[in-house]
Amino acid sequence: MLRFLAGKGVQYALVLLFAITLNFLLPRMMPGSPLLFLVGEDVGFMPAEQRAQIMRAFGLDQPLWRQYVIYLGNLAQGDLGFSYQQGRPIVEIIRNRLPWTLLLVGLSLLLATFVGVAWGLLAAWHRGGPVDFASLAVAMFFESTPSFWLGMIFIATFAAGLGWFPIFGAQTIGIPLSGVAWIADRLRHLALPLATLTLITIPGMFMIMRYAMLTVLGEQYITTARSKGVVERRVMYGHAMRNALLPVATVCMLNLGTIVSGATVIETVFSYPGVGRLLFEAVLARDYPVIQATFFVVTVSVIAMNIIADLLYPVIDPRLRHAR
Amino acid sequence: MRGNPAVDTTTEMAAEVAAGAPVLPLARPIRRRVRVGVVGIAGVLLLIVLSGVGALAPWIAPYDPDETTGNPFESPSGGHWLGTNDVGRDILSELIYGVRISMTIGFLAAAVSISIGTLVGVVAGYFAGWVDVALMRLVDIVLVIPFLPLMILLAAYLGPSFWNIILVIGVLVWARPARVLRAQVLSLRSLDYIEAARVLGASSGRVLRRHILPGVLSLSLAQFILAASSAILIEASLSFLGLGDPTAKSWGSTLYYAQVRSAFLTGAWKWWVVPPGLMITSAVLGFAFTGFALEEILNPRLRR
Repeated sequence: MLRFLAGKGVQYALVLLFAITLNFLLPRMMPGSPLLFLVGEDVGFMPAEQRAQIMRAFGLDQPLWRQYVIYLGNLAQGDLGFSYQQGRPIVEIIRNRLPWTLLLVGLSLLLATFVGVAWGLLAAWHRGGPVDFASLAVAMFFESTPSFWLGMIFIATFAAGLGWFPIFGAQTIGIPLSGVAWIADRLRHLALPLATLTLITIPGMFMIMRYAMLTVLGEQYITTARSKGVVERRVMYGHAMRNALLPVATVCMLNLGTIVSGATVIETVFSYPGVGRLLFEAVLARDYPVIQATFFVVTVSVIAMNIIADLLYPVIDPRLRHAR
Repeated sequence: MRGNPAVDTTTEMAAEVAAGAPVLPLARPIRRRVRVGVVGIAGVLLLIVLSGVGALAPWIAPYDPDETTGNPFESPSGGHWLGTNDVGRDILSELIYGVRISMTIGFLAAAVSISIGTLVGVVAGYFAGWVDVALMRLVDIVLVIPFLPLMILLAAYLGPSFWNIILVIGVLVWARPARVLRAQVLSLRSLDYIEAARVLGASSGRVLRRHILPGVLSLSLAQFILAASSAILIEASLSFLGLGDPTAKSWGSTLYYAQVRSAFLTGAWKWWVVPPGLMITSAVLGFAFTGFALEEILNPRLRR
């Protein structure tokens, strides 16, 4: 158990180090002055002394390793840099955006796992039959569909066409709401992005659950259970399902990066004010510090979610609790 | 994670399935083989049709996709079957030429990623020990990082161009193939004839070239095709975010312009948004089906 967590810890530390180092090196290794990336196109119009001041603030007049130390020091103090385009600290921008993304990703992860597991069970129950085959076909179709396209179709039909849901944003702006109406307003805005992200996440969960069930059903203890007369329903849900859930948890973790990536494009389609949309806006504005900070924050969030999942893992797998 | 067999098997299994290998171990073998065949043929057919359209684009497409041949935002008509876009260009022609861009990028990006993946997988599996540990650590790192934000970061710095997109996708999609191929090498390495070759004094290079590589090539072909399917999907996402090659419009770029011009708010989404998405889906499915069938046939680990 401890070894498992320690190994994971090393892995996440390396991921973090990679992200930080990449962020540090990119503006400094590209052709042209790093100021062009750190400050933006306006750097040409800046008075020389202001430019020199910024150079000093980033330590750009010092050797590379000193710059790295300064960079790490700033990061450790929670300084993600400054968006010269928006004229405010990036921490402030991201603080407003991150909750929306966490809400979207968290809820759709929960929903997709639940539906995917149930669907996988259903397919495994009807294994080899038409239900199973049709399920596989549907899952493969949705796995091959671009998520943003699905989102655009949803907007066209359910929002613009039928008018059931708002077309963009996460809340109605300008009208003060309170209580139930406040919650309902946010839920109505959340519905379509959530549905899209969930729909593209389900197939992965379904595939792994179905595969895990079929593998477990081939184990000897299942044959034993059957031969002592346990009814099929109980074999499936009581004996097989418990063990099949373990790989689903693993895949949840493996897929976090994919789900967050999906959220990036889906937030863009729905103009949902999360960090994914922020990333898109920053790309359009060529606001490099914001692109970098967003990448960093998203990576940290994924690592954090991974750690939570790792800590929960022993709860569902008792073997890990007792393993040395 | 390493050192705990319970977790290791589940991870391996997860990686296998995540690599796009859903299997039917308990279905009756003959029926299963027929189905694998049907899926494979459907995939190959889709690919043939799409490549044909791409190859014959200048003869099939009614117009030059880069020329203004109508008014902006025209609805479908006899002249323009799928209407025109925001600058009066024929959408159908754009989609037909888009086959070339999307499929080429998918192919080349997959080639880059499989070259890296095969190299890493074979070296890690064959040399084992610390080389294996180090390379698999690298694979784990790549798998944890949210790949799209990283690609966006890289693409934003490198600038949107045809080769940069291929490079960015290629260097980030190799981790899963590397994992699958490593597993294959591990099982090959323990086979008697390879053991024999080594005992007879064959150099590592010779064993790798003559015995290991031929054994994994077929599987890396299957992985190549699966990688192409995800590369097409990723290219579409990058182009949709405005990071595609501005001089060569892929299906993703068509959707980018549809999004920017709010095509989904008018009736235009039926001919401007739906068709490119269906094209992307059919290309991805074509590769996915083919890769799935190939892997079913070629990967001994999936045959039970």
